[in-house]
Order: sequence, then structure tokens, then C-alpha cells
Amino acid sequence: MAEDILLGDDFLRQLMSVGEVDLLVAIPTYNNAGTVAQTIQAIENSYQQNFVRDRVVILNVDGGSTDHTTDTILSMNGKKSAAHRGITSLRTVHRVTTQYGRSPSQGMALRTILAAADLLRARSCAIVSPATTNLDPSWIANLLRPAYRQDFAFVAPLYSRTKFQGLLARNLLYPMSRAVFGLRIREMYSDEWGFSGRLATQCLNQNLWGEEAVRNRPEAWMAVTAICSGMKCCQSFLGPKAPPPPGSGPDIVETIRQTVGNLFWCFETFQEHWMDRTGTEAVPTFGSDHELLPEDAPASQEKSFELFRTGVKELDTILSSILRPDTLAQIRSIAGAEAGKFRFEPELWVRMMYEFAASYHRSVIARDHILQALVPLYRGHLYSFLLEHRGSSVEEMEADSEALCVEFERQKPYLIERWKAKS
Amino acid sequence: MKDTIVQGLQQAYLNLFHMIAEFLPRLVVMLVIILSGLLVAYALKYMVRAVLRLTKLDRLSEEAGASRVLRMAALPSMTEVLSRSVFWITLLGFILIGISILNIAGLQEQISRLLRLLPEIVVAMLILFLGLVIANFLSRAALLAAVNAGYASPKMLSWSIRFGILILAIAMALDELGVARQTVIAAFSIVFGAFMLGLAIAFGLGGQGLARSFLERSLGEKKEDKADELQPL
Repeated sequence: MAEDILLGDDFLRQLMSVGEVDLLVAIPTYNNAGTVAQTIQAIENSYQQNFVRDRVVILNVDGGSTDHTTDTILSMNGKKSAAHRGITSLRTVHRVTTQYGRSPSQGMALRTILAAADLLRARSCAIVSPATTNLDPSWIANLLRPAYRQDFAFVAPLYSRTKFQGLLARNLLYPMSRAVFGLRIREMYSDEWGFSGRLATQCLNQNLWGEEAVRNRPEAWMAVTAICSGMKCCQSFLGPKAPPPPGSGPDIVETIRQTVGNLFWCFETFQEHWMDRTGTEAVPTFGSDHELLPEDAPASQEKSFELFRTGVKELDTILSSILRPDTLAQIRSIAGAEAGKFRFEPELWVRMMYEFAASYHRSVIARDHILQALVPLYRGHLYSFLLEHRGSSVEEMEADSEALCVEFERQKPYLIERWKAKS
Repeated sequence: MKDTIVQGLQQAYLNLFHMIAEFLPRLVVMLVIILSGLLVAYALKYMVRAVLRLTKLDRLSEEAGASRVLRMAALPSMTEVLSRSVFWITLLGFILIGISILNIAGLQEQISRLLRLLPEIVVAMLILFLGLVIANFLSRAALLAAVNAGYASPKMLSWSIRFGILILAIAMALDELGVARQTVIAAFSIVFGAFMLGLAIAFGLGGQGLARSFLERSLGEKKEDKADELQPL
């Protein structure tokens, strides 16, 4: 399959000169000249410290940077870090760079990485983001080891996070994917993850690369592929997740389109695998479990509540084609509440999310419109969450998150019922 | 003189009687034909609906993506659209046959003209259908984008887009039919131009504040807005 992908002559020449490898760490870049050097350094340090005898390669796939990202990587060749302290790899740390396109695409980047991993017969691979400013050499080792030494196919990262960080993941993506697919993988949507060469080849051979969901969030698709193929999955603790610079990255609308769209698409694509599955299983975790760190409550999110109210009022026609009448009536009712007394009950949130997933499945309207219609409702739930947990302790928040996961599991039969319903 | 008038009246009465005597049976025949047409159309509609349900056309249409297009245009399912089309086409055919029985001079010619126009009518209907689909899709997309961006009056924006596209589609359909071509083009230009001018004036003068906030949001403050939102992942 790797041969079917249009890999440039120069890229193929570089791969051939590397030969076979044990480990591959890939960095998808797009205008990351400012941070890519420290990422490369962290990977090299990790190789030097943890995989002295192994055949390794660093692969950079670039989406058409205009800030000389690739030049920065190439100009680093041969420079040794002071952190080596006399430990030198017995093998050459190869660096391969290629440009997969003129505009960035996570799906194309991953496809190129998988093709390279397949050609190099890499046993274990990891992907790291150059935007992660606190990347530590131990992170790389933690992502590579489970697939290299213990036959795990997919290695999800675990981070320590502050209380109000990653709320979409905590309130929607994790509990919903856990309830549906039955595995407790916390960070399915992340910038760093690891996988085995076997999973790389299997994903590469799938004819799904044209799907928007795969192009946008290929990491979650890889995870679900591993789960549904019966491959072993695990989690590996990395460290604190550094928040990205304010205003960078996609906004909430785009994030929901990409992540929730991907999740709903995975529900549909892998429906035979989860329909009859009941209960959830914990996955092996390396290192400490995820940590929640205390944090001051964020500034008032009154605007989120206003956007929720406006959304419920203005999108009534659209919501009535997505939600059941009684669910919509309840949402209309809470939208009329005072801002200070507003509460989005978990039972309603879960039922609403399952109705959204079923409507996406039946394409009651354009799918992208269904996802966009979710945004104001998510904002309402976010506001309710922040209002409720403004003064909550870490333990209280953890207990609440777990209760939400259990509610998603309890209502899974409702998802199946709505999924199979004709209207 | 008197006899002539009486004879004239008698003749007129006889002529009227003959006309009615000739016309009434035709009218009855026409009504019978239309009534039969109605029955046949209903029968065909139910038959087509049953056959299409048996063949699970809706599922096929769902898989092919045609149902999605119909839903976008707020139209019923494929089975319903086809069975209703069969009903109306059959009824229209019987009505035309019925009218032709009346043998009214000029009407025959109009009916033949209508039949000759049939291909153009189909194309015009297709244009209207596509216009409706596009108008619904884009107006909904605009509504969602405006609501999520927190713009004021999102429904007005959505309605404006729907109205503009529908006007364009209607003008194109009428142009296809060749109905008062010059008038339609002139009317379209006037209505569309007035609509856009109205929007420009309303937005520029009536909504200076709105325009300012829109531009500020689009050009300057978007990053701050994003920064205000909590990191979702």
C-alpha cells in the first residue's frame, strides 16, 4: 500500500538510505521554525538516553511551511546537545524530511508517516507536536516503549491538567467514546500518541483517507481502529499539558466540527463493533494516572450563556429536526432560567448528545450543520459546569466527571434505540 | 317588422339551444374525464407508493444521498415526491384531454402550446428546485455561522440570503420559460438591486454600531474572543 502513495523520489531515497528501523518518531510541522529545534532535540535526547542500541529515525513531514521550518531541522544535523553527558548512541540517529503538500493536513501528514513506517518496517512509532513547548525526552520513551517492548498497538497519552483545562474532552469526548466503545481511554484526541508498526500497516491499508473525519483527526480514528480490531491499547503518563498560547489553534466551532464530527463518524463506521458491547474496561496505564491540578476559576462566562440562549431561540427549527420534542422542550425551558440558577442536568446533556449522534447517523440535515448546531448547546453546558464547579475541589470534580461517564453508560441503550429508529 | 324580430329571436334562441345542446354533453364528458382522471391519479399514486415502499426506494435514496438533498429543500421522502408527481402529472393529463373535448377555438391552440413548452417547464421546475435546495442550505449555514459567532440579527441575515437566491432562481426559471423575458430581467435587476441597496443603506446608516462591531470582530477582536474561550482539548 505504501507504494500506492505518491512519495517523492528524494523522500524514497532518504528512506532507502536509512534501511530498516526499530523506532520512528515523527513530527508533523507547519510553520514551526520557532519550536521545532527543541522538539528535535528532545527526541534525540530520548533516543540517546533510552534506546542506545536501537535503530532509530526522526521523520519530519511538512505541510508547506513558509518560515524555513525544514531548513531549521536540516541545519541542526550533527549538533550534539549538552544533555548527552557522554552517552552516545551506538547507531546513527537518522533524520528524514519531506513535504507532503502545500497546505497542512493532519490526515495527509499521518498517511505519509504510516507509509514511511511501513517501508522502514518500524516496530514502534510515536508522533509528537512541535507546538508542545514542554516536550520532555521521557515523553518520547513513554510513547514508544509499550508498543516496542510489550506488544501494545495504540498508546494514548495521559497528562496532568488544570481543573478547567480540556473541558470538551472531559464532558463530552471521553465519556461518550468510553460508553460507546467500552474502553476507558482518556485522551483519544491529542497531539502526541504512539502506535505499533502493525497498526500503522493496518491503517495505511484502509481506504478511508479521503474521509473528512480521518483527514481532520486521524489519531482518534487510529485509536478506534485498534479498539475495534481487538488490538491492545494502553495509556502512558507524560506530564503536564502546557496550554497553547492564547488565541492560537482552532476556535470552539472548528474544534467541535473536527472532534465531535470524527467521533460521530467513528460511531457510524464501526457500528457493528459497539452495538452489542456492554460495560466498559479500564486499559493498562503506564506511569501515574491522570492528574487534575488546582486552578483559579476562570473569568465569568456569561457570554457563553448568552450565546446558548440566542442559539436555542434562533436555531429552534434546526434543533427541532435534530432533537426529540420532549428533549427540545426541556432545553427551551432551561434556556429561560436566570443565569445564576442555570443548570444543565447530566441526564439531559447525555440524552441530547445521543440524539445528536443518531441524527448525524440519519443525516436529518447536512451533517456539518448538525455539528454546528451543537455549539451553542455545548456553550450552555460549559456555563453550567463552570457555575457548578467554581468552588469545587479536585476530588469533587473528579467524582462529577465519573458520574457523567456512568450516565453516558446508563443511557447507551437509548443511543442504540435512537440509532436504529427510522425517524 | 315584428315577424322579422320574432324570427331573429327564435333563431337566436334556437342557436343558443343548439350551442347548449352541443356544449352540455361535452362539458359532462369533460367532467367525467376529469373525475375519472382524479380516480385514476389517486389509484396510481397509491400503487406507485406501495410499489416504491416494497422496493425500499427510500433506503436506496438515503444511501445515494438524494434524501439528504430533499431534506435540505424541506421536501418529503423520495417515495412521497414520486407518488405525488405521478398523481399530478396524471391529473394534469386528464384535465388537458377533458378541456380539449370542449372544442373551444383558441383553447386547443393554447393546450398544444403548453404541451410544446413541456420541456422548458421541466427545466424551469428543476431550476426552481435547485434554487430552493441551495437557498435552504446556504441560509441555514449562514444562520448557524451567525449564531455561533454571536452576531446580532442572525435570522435577518439568513432570510436575506434565502430571499436573494430565490429571487435569482425564479428569474432564471421565468427566463427559461420565455415569459416576458425583458420584463423579468428588468424586474429582477430592479428588485435585486433595490434589495442590495436596501441592505447597504440599512447596514451602513441604520446599523453603524452593528457594522462597527462586525468589522471589529472580523478584523481585530477575533483573537481576543478566542482567547476568552477556555481551551476545549
